[in-house]
Amino acid sequence: MKTINIGWLYPDLMSTYGDRGNIIALSYRLKKRGIKPIVHKISVNEPENLISKMDIIFMGGAQDKQQEIVNADLKNNKGKYLKTAIKNGVPSLFVCGAYQFLGKYYKTADGIIIDGLGIFDLYTENPGINFSRCIGNIIINPNISFDGNDKKKFFVGFENHGGRTYLADKKLAFAKVVKGFGNNEEDRTEGIFYKNSFGTYLHGPILPKNPELADYLIGKAVERKYGKKIKLKKIDDRWENKARDFVVSKL
Amino acid sequence: MINTIILIIGKVIIKVSKLLNFGSGSTWPGHIALKFNDKFIEDVVNKNKNLKIIIIAGTNGKTTSTALLKFLLEKSGKKIFTNREGANLLNGVASSIIKNSNVFSQLKYDFAIFESDEFNLPLLLKKVSPDKILILNLFRDQLDRYGEVNTIALKWLESLKTLPAKTEVFINGDDPQLYFIGSSLIQKVQYFGVETKLMKLKNIPHDVDSIYCPVCLSLLHYHQLSFAHLGDFYCSNCQFKRGVVNDFSDKKISYPMSGLYNVYNTNAVLLLLKSLVKVEIKDVNQWLKTFAPVFGRQEEIVYKNRKIFILLSKNPAGFNQSIQTVKKILKSKRANFLIILNNKIPDGLDVSWIWDVDFKPILDVADNVYVSGDRVYDLNLRLRYENGKKNIATFENLPDAVESIVNKTKEGERLFILPTYSAMLEVRKILLGRKLL
Repeated sequence: MKTINIGWLYPDLMSTYGDRGNIIALSYRLKKRGIKPIVHKISVNEPENLISKMDIIFMGGAQDKQQEIVNADLKNNKGKYLKTAIKNGVPSLFVCGAYQFLGKYYKTADGIIIDGLGIFDLYTENPGINFSRCIGNIIINPNISFDGNDKKKFFVGFENHGGRTYLADKKLAFAKVVKGFGNNEEDRTEGIFYKNSFGTYLHGPILPKNPELADYLIGKAVERKYGKKIKLKKIDDRWENKARDFVVSKL
Repeated sequence: MINTIILIIGKVIIKVSKLLNFGSGSTWPGHIALKFNDKFIEDVVNKNKNLKIIIIAGTNGKTTSTALLKFLLEKSGKKIFTNREGANLLNGVASSIIKNSNVFSQLKYDFAIFESDEFNLPLLLKKVSPDKILILNLFRDQLDRYGEVNTIALKWLESLKTLPAKTEVFINGDDPQLYFIGSSLIQKVQYFGVETKLMKLKNIPHDVDSIYCPVCLSLLHYHQLSFAHLGDFYCSNCQFKRGVVNDFSDKKISYPMSGLYNVYNTNAVLLLLKSLVKVEIKDVNQWLKTFAPVFGRQEEIVYKNRKIFILLSKNPAGFNQSIQTVKKILKSKRANFLIILNNKIPDGLDVSWIWDVDFKPILDVADNVYVSGDRVYDLNLRLRYENGKKNIATFENLPDAVESIVNKTKEGERLFILPTYSAMLEVRKILLGRKLL
């Protein structure tokens, strides 16, 4: 039986609002294809080289205080392993706080600059407490096409972030914003797509309602691990599409 | 003078709105009062020096604790008024004052109990200085509206520090962040909690919010936990650990409602009660046996000869606790379930939190599972991803869902309804045929 190792980074610290739904969705869709998901929770106390053994990596968002703890552990221990994995093309997903971490820096509401891992070519600035957070349902149109999806579909989610992210080049964006804020209110870009990794502000969580993205991560993981492109068995996504269409219809 | 006019007008509005069946007028007379005089609340309260003010704050259990405290104080012969929960807290507080004051701004009561949500507590504390304040808990709830849990805790601490030294504070001592707040205050602080025997969890669940040490930022450890981040905590890096809590374990309390969260609520209320009136524990125990839960909170409704339990379930901590309660009520029996997810303003727009709820125990004991509400398809996905084999009956229309599952439930069988806040009001209206608020 095929197996896929899913590395869930800092589930105890970086899991603010339903982020584990992404792990549940990946596991569900792997099982449907007869592939066994093995979820590894990798937090501060786990050995850093565990990251090198992962076929898919996921990390969610968190509150400021928790982010301080994670930031220290990433910088001193796990960051270099994560960087190597992403550069090698391990499919991965970074949501909200995790997405910001992977950029060059994050400027807090008080103007303090926190260095990021510098894996993604972007930076994030919080304009200060007098600016409101970017909160609400969001619809995006991905810039890349996904398997089994002739017509490009909308992706939906919920965003809730104070920081505004600016890409070094808008061509790096994962998607265009149809409704909502995205990276920042100005340039209508959302997230980043780099190697096989995605950074995004979409909570919701993103994967259950946007199964093409889940299948992209799974497809790449299987392909890298077993050495050939495998056509994933189609899953009946009727309800997934209804849930997505509902959000689109309300906005 | 202005307040006399406000009180007269306000009372007329309440009367008229009752006559015309517009609802009980629980917020908008207050809205108008505060428009005319933004110091209306403090003006009237300051005129009533003998009135003692109690504030009850927290994420879950406010309404139940307020009702229980009011009930016990009334049993001991005191006169109490409270605010009705509502979307805008200050309007609700002002309305309750209009309703219960005479036109000379006299509040002829012994105690006023105001319940406050997370966000509004600092605003309320700017208006009134309570004699006693009870902080029940702090869980993640509506991050889209209230912001992050840490931010709220920080704001609470700042505003509690501004209270006079004579204010008495009652805090959940099993919650590390709240315990830290308590230990940072100069006021007299008393802690409530539950005895460690009742803490059955060994590992930290995933609906947690406060698991780092508030003193040194190391990961916190627990000897055992009750639920969410509540438990017997300690830091292995510094000296921070759970202190002495009042758990009433030696008093053989007759807890009036199921669920560990109601042991917390009851212990909190008993601790507060002890500081307010002289009562014998055996009397309290007698009274507790006759306490009926507030609407929608473990409320039992008989509808077409079916026993229906409604358990308000509005955030991960509350939901996971409702599920534990259902298991306790059912023992090894099975039942039907209707789960309703709305995303209206009182529920929060963001429904991501359902992925932090463990639905497996429900699916294990459910004969039939029905889902409905504004975000019914999100709920369908969540449940199917938990157990792909179970059929999830999915209804966009709530009355249809209720009719269908009631018909599916045989007479004498049990049906549980787990709704979010606005869904709870809707489903009660269907079952009872009248408007509640």
